[in-house]
Amino acid sequence: MDFTFSPEHVALRRMIREFAENEVAPLAAEIDREGRVPFETLKMLGEIGLLGVCFPQEYGGMGAGETGYCILMEELGRVCTSTATGVGAHIGIGAMAIHLDGNEQQKRKYLVPLARGEKIAAFVLTEADAGSDAAAIRTRAVREGDSWILDGTKTFNTNGSFAEIVTVMAVTDPTLGARGGITAFIVEADTPGFEVGTHENKMGIRGSSTAELIFDGVRVPHENVLGKVGEGFVSFMKTLDMGRLTLGAACLGGAQAALDWSIEWAKTRKQFGVDLAQKQSVQWKIADMATEVEALRSLVYRVAWMVDTGQPFSRLAAMCKMYGSEVASRAIDSALQIHGGLGYSRDFAIERAFRDARIAEIFEGTNEIQRIVIASNIFRERGVRIRP
Amino acid sequence: MEFTFSEEQQMFRAMFRDFCGKEVASKAEELDHEEKPPLDAIRKAANQGFLGATLPEDYFGAELDYVSYALLIETLARDCMSTALTLATHVSLVAMSILDHGTDVQKEQWLPMMAAGEALGAFALTEPDAGSDAAHQGGAALRTRATPDGAEVSLDGTKTWVANGGIAGLFLVFAQGPEGVEAFLVPKDTPGLTVGYREPTLGLRSVTFNTLYLEGCRVPVANRLGAPGEGGAVGRRAQDRMAVALAAAGLGASEDAVDIAAQFATERVQFGVPIAKKQAIQSYMAEALTDVEALRYLVYHAAWLVDQGGDLSFDASVVKAFGARVAHSVTNRMLQVMGGYGYMEDYPMARKYRDARALGIIGGPTELHQVRVAQRIFADLDLEIAP
Amino acid sequence: MFINREEYLLQPADRCALEAALRIKDAARSQEMPDIEVVALPRTPLPDDDVLRQALCTGADRAVYLTGAGLQDADDAVMARVLAAAVGRLGGADLVLAGATTLDSGQGQLGLRLAEALGSPQIVGAWTVETADGCVQAVLKDGTGYVTVEADLPAVVTMLPGTLKLRYPDGVRLIDVYRAPDAVEHWDVSDLVDEEMLRSLLKERGRDFPPERERGVRVSGTSEEMAQALADALRQRVRA
Repeated sequence: MDFTFSPEHVALRRMIREFAENEVAPLAAEIDREGRVPFETLKMLGEIGLLGVCFPQEYGGMGAGETGYCILMEELGRVCTSTATGVGAHIGIGAMAIHLDGNEQQKRKYLVPLARGEKIAAFVLTEADAGSDAAAIRTRAVREGDSWILDGTKTFNTNGSFAEIVTVMAVTDPTLGARGGITAFIVEADTPGFEVGTHENKMGIRGSSTAELIFDGVRVPHENVLGKVGEGFVSFMKTLDMGRLTLGAACLGGAQAALDWSIEWAKTRKQFGVDLAQKQSVQWKIADMATEVEALRSLVYRVAWMVDTGQPFSRLAAMCKMYGSEVASRAIDSALQIHGGLGYSRDFAIERAFRDARIAEIFEGTNEIQRIVIASNIFRERGVRIRP
Repeated sequence: MEFTFSEEQQMFRAMFRDFCGKEVASKAEELDHEEKPPLDAIRKAANQGFLGATLPEDYFGAELDYVSYALLIETLARDCMSTALTLATHVSLVAMSILDHGTDVQKEQWLPMMAAGEALGAFALTEPDAGSDAAHQGGAALRTRATPDGAEVSLDGTKTWVANGGIAGLFLVFAQGPEGVEAFLVPKDTPGLTVGYREPTLGLRSVTFNTLYLEGCRVPVANRLGAPGEGGAVGRRAQDRMAVALAAAGLGASEDAVDIAAQFATERVQFGVPIAKKQAIQSYMAEALTDVEALRYLVYHAAWLVDQGGDLSFDASVVKAFGARVAHSVTNRMLQVMGGYGYMEDYPMARKYRDARALGIIGGPTELHQVRVAQRIFADLDLEIAP
Repeated sequence: MFINREEYLLQPADRCALEAALRIKDAARSQEMPDIEVVALPRTPLPDDDVLRQALCTGADRAVYLTGAGLQDADDAVMARVLAAAVGRLGGADLVLAGATTLDSGQGQLGLRLAEALGSPQIVGAWTVETADGCVQAVLKDGTGYVTVEADLPAVVTMLPGTLKLRYPDGVRLIDVYRAPDAVEHWDVSDLVDEEMLRSLLKERGRDFPPERERGVRVSGTSEEMAQALADALRQRVRA
C-alpha cells in the first residue's frame, strides 16, 4: 500500500493552500458579517481552473480526479466554510450531475463552461415537504411538444440565487414515485419563469447563498433532460454520493483548523503562570481531536482513491459525510472550550467556525439519513431491504 | 423529602409564566438580532418586584426563597436566556452580595434602589489574565489594585467580560488590596471608571459584556463590601449562588428546546409519517428529556441549599457543570431534530443553541468546576487537590 | 533564475522577475506580435527540479535544471559564467530577467556579473519592465521619485522584490507538468563550461565568531523597580 500523494497532488495542494491563505482567508470574517457571497473569489478560482478540478481535461476540467477535489475542499474548508460550501455546490453536485449523466452534447454545452469557471452551477432538489424524504418532491414537469414545462418551488438551495446553470429534479409521472417518476433537467437560469424567492437567514455559512427558487411555467427543451426520463432518482442518488465524500473533506479542513488553533493557543496562553498546554484537560482534548482528524483524513483520501480507481464507494462516502461532520463539530466545540471567553467572542474565528460547522450534520442529507444509507447498504449485501 | 413545589411556589410559577408570555417571549428574537439589552422587560420586571426577588421586604424586595427565584430564572430562560441572565447577574451576583456582606448603611443605600430597578448591578471580577477562578485562588492572580489613601481607596486596573457592564448603575469590583482580595461598590458615575468595549458574542447577544477601566477611581473606604481581605469569600459565595442561577437558566432553555422540537416532530411529515414516529427521533427526545429531568432536581436541590446557608461550593459546581453540559447537548440535539429549520435564525432553536453554549464558559469553565468537585471527593479522603 | 535552496520557494525578487517575463509574453500575444518564449533557469545550485517545475506551471515555456558535481558550491561569480554559457546554448536571449537581491545570501551580484559575461547592458533594481521595438524600458526608484530607463536589447534587467505579484499557476498546466517526469530539461554543467570556470574566485580561509558580548545591566522586579534600575544604570553610564 502506498499512502503518498502523487507529485501533482502535492503540487496542487501547495498551490491551493497559498491561494486559500492569500485570497480566501482574508475575506472569511467579512463575508460572514455582511452575509455576501465572495464572487471575486469564485472568479479567481475559475480563472486558474479549480472550479473544474475533478472533471476531465477534454471537458475543460483539470483532470485531478476526486483526490484533487478533496484536496481543494479540505484546503478551502480549513479557512472558510462559506466559500467551501459555494464551491462544493458548484463542482460536487451542480456540475457533477452533468458529468455523471450528461450526453456528449450536454457536456460540451454545459459542463465545459462550468469546469472552466465561466458559469456557476447549482443542484436543485429540496422542497418544503421533501427534505430527508427527497423522493417526495412535487415540482412538476409536464411534456409539451418538444419541451417540458416546470412548475414548483424549491427551498434551501445553495448557489441557486446566482447560478447560471441549474440541475433540477422534477416529477414527470406522479403515479410512479421514486422508481420511474422523477427526471433531472438542465435549466438555464435566464429562462423566463425562473425566479429567486426568499433568501434564508442562517446561523452560519452566511457567506454562501441559501434561497428559495420558484419555477413558474419554465420551458425546458427536451434535449436538456439529463439522463433518461424517469431515471432522475437514481441520478440524484449518484450525484449526492459524490457530494458526500467531498463534504467530508471540507469537514476535515475545518477540524484541522480547530486543532491547529487549539495547539497554538495552548502553547501561548498561561493561566496562573502555567501554560495551558500543561493542563491535562487541554491535552486530552487535543489528543482526541488529533486522533479523529487522522482517522478522518485516512478515510476521506482512501475513499477518494476508490472513486478514482472506479471502485464502489457509496457506503464509504456516507461514512465520510457522517463521520466528518461529527468530527468537525466535536473538534470545533473542544477548540471553543479551550479558548474560553475568546472562543465565544465574534472578534475571533472560532465562534464563526462553530456556527458554520453545525450545518454539516444537516445538509446534503442529515446524519440520520446517512446512517440509514450505511445500514441499508450493509443489510442489502446480506439480502435484507431496509425501509427508511 | 418533599418533591413537589409548595402551593405558593406553583402560584409564583404561574405568575412568572404569565409575565414571560406578555413581556419576554415576543421580544427575544428582535433583542438577539439587534443586540439590544432587554431594558423594557427589566423595567416591567422591576414593577413586579423581580429585581429584588430574594431581598427582604424591608428593602422593597419580594422576599422569595431561592427555589422560587430559581423558578423565575428558569421561566425567563425558557423564552430568553439573555433576559434571565441579565436579571440573575443583578440579583445573585450583586444584590445578594450586598445583602449577605453589607453593613446596614450599605444595604439601606443600595438595596431599595436595586429592587426598584433604579440601579442595575454588574459584577467585575474577570481580568485579561485572570478568569473567574480568580476569586477561588485566593485572589493571587488579580492585577486590579486597591490602594488605600486616607478615607478613600484608589482602584486601578482593567476588568473584562463584565456582565451588565453597559447598563449597570452599580459595579461590584474585585481588587487586590494590602490584606488580600477586596470587594468594592462603585457607582457608575464615579470619576476614573470608564465602561469600554462591548464584546460581540456568539450568543447571549442582548447581555452587555463590557471592558471596565479603573484609572485612579476613588471610592470611600465605606464602599468596601465585607471586611478587609474578605473579598475572596464575597466573590466565591456570589459565584456559587450564580452557578445555581446559570443552571436554572440552562434548565429553562433545555425544556423549551425539547418542547419546540417535540412539536416540530409531530408536525413534520417525511416518508409518510411524522418524524416523531421514528425510533431515532424518539431516542433523541428521550435522552434529552431524561437529562432535563435530572437537571431539574439538581437545580432545585441546589437552590434549596442556598436557602439553608452553609458551604455551597461542591453542589454549585456539580449543578453548574451538569447544567452547562445538558443545555449544550439538548439544544444541539433538538436543533438536529428540526433539521434545516433548526439552522435558520427565523426559528428560536438556533438562538437557543448559541445562547446555551455560553454556560460552559461564563461563571467559570466546566473544567474549573470539575476540579472543585474533585477537590471535595478527595478532601473526604484527606487528599488536597489544587487546581 | 529563481529559488531558495532550503525551502524550495521562489525568492521574492525572482517571483517578480518571472511575473515580469510572463507579462511581456502576454503583451506580445495580445498585440498579435510573434510569440515570446520564456525559459526558466536556476540562479543557484538546487537539490531537485521542483522549483523549475513551478515556473513551468505558472507559464514559462521551458525550464532547464542544471546538474553536475562541479556546480556544488557555486557562488554568483561561477553561476554567472555557467548561465552565460547556458544562454548561449539556448541560442541567445533578448532579455534576461533576474531578482536583484536574494533573501539568504544577500548578494545582488548575479545579474551584474551575468550582464558582464554576456556583454549586455544592464538595468539594476527595476520596479516594472516592458519591451518595445528592440528596446527594454524599466522604471526605477530614484531617491524620492521614479526614473524610466531604456536599453537596447539584448539586455539584462534585475527586479526588486515586492513589485509584481506572481500569478497563480494554471491548474491544468500544473497537473500536466507534474505528471510528466521530463517536463524540465536537465543539462549537465560540464557540457556548458570547462572545469576551471567552475572554480570560485573566492577561497574560504576559515570561520570566526565575534567575541562574546560584554554583559550589560540586567534589571528585574516589578515594572516600577525595573524602570528605576534602568534609569539608575543609564545615569551611571552617562556620567562615566
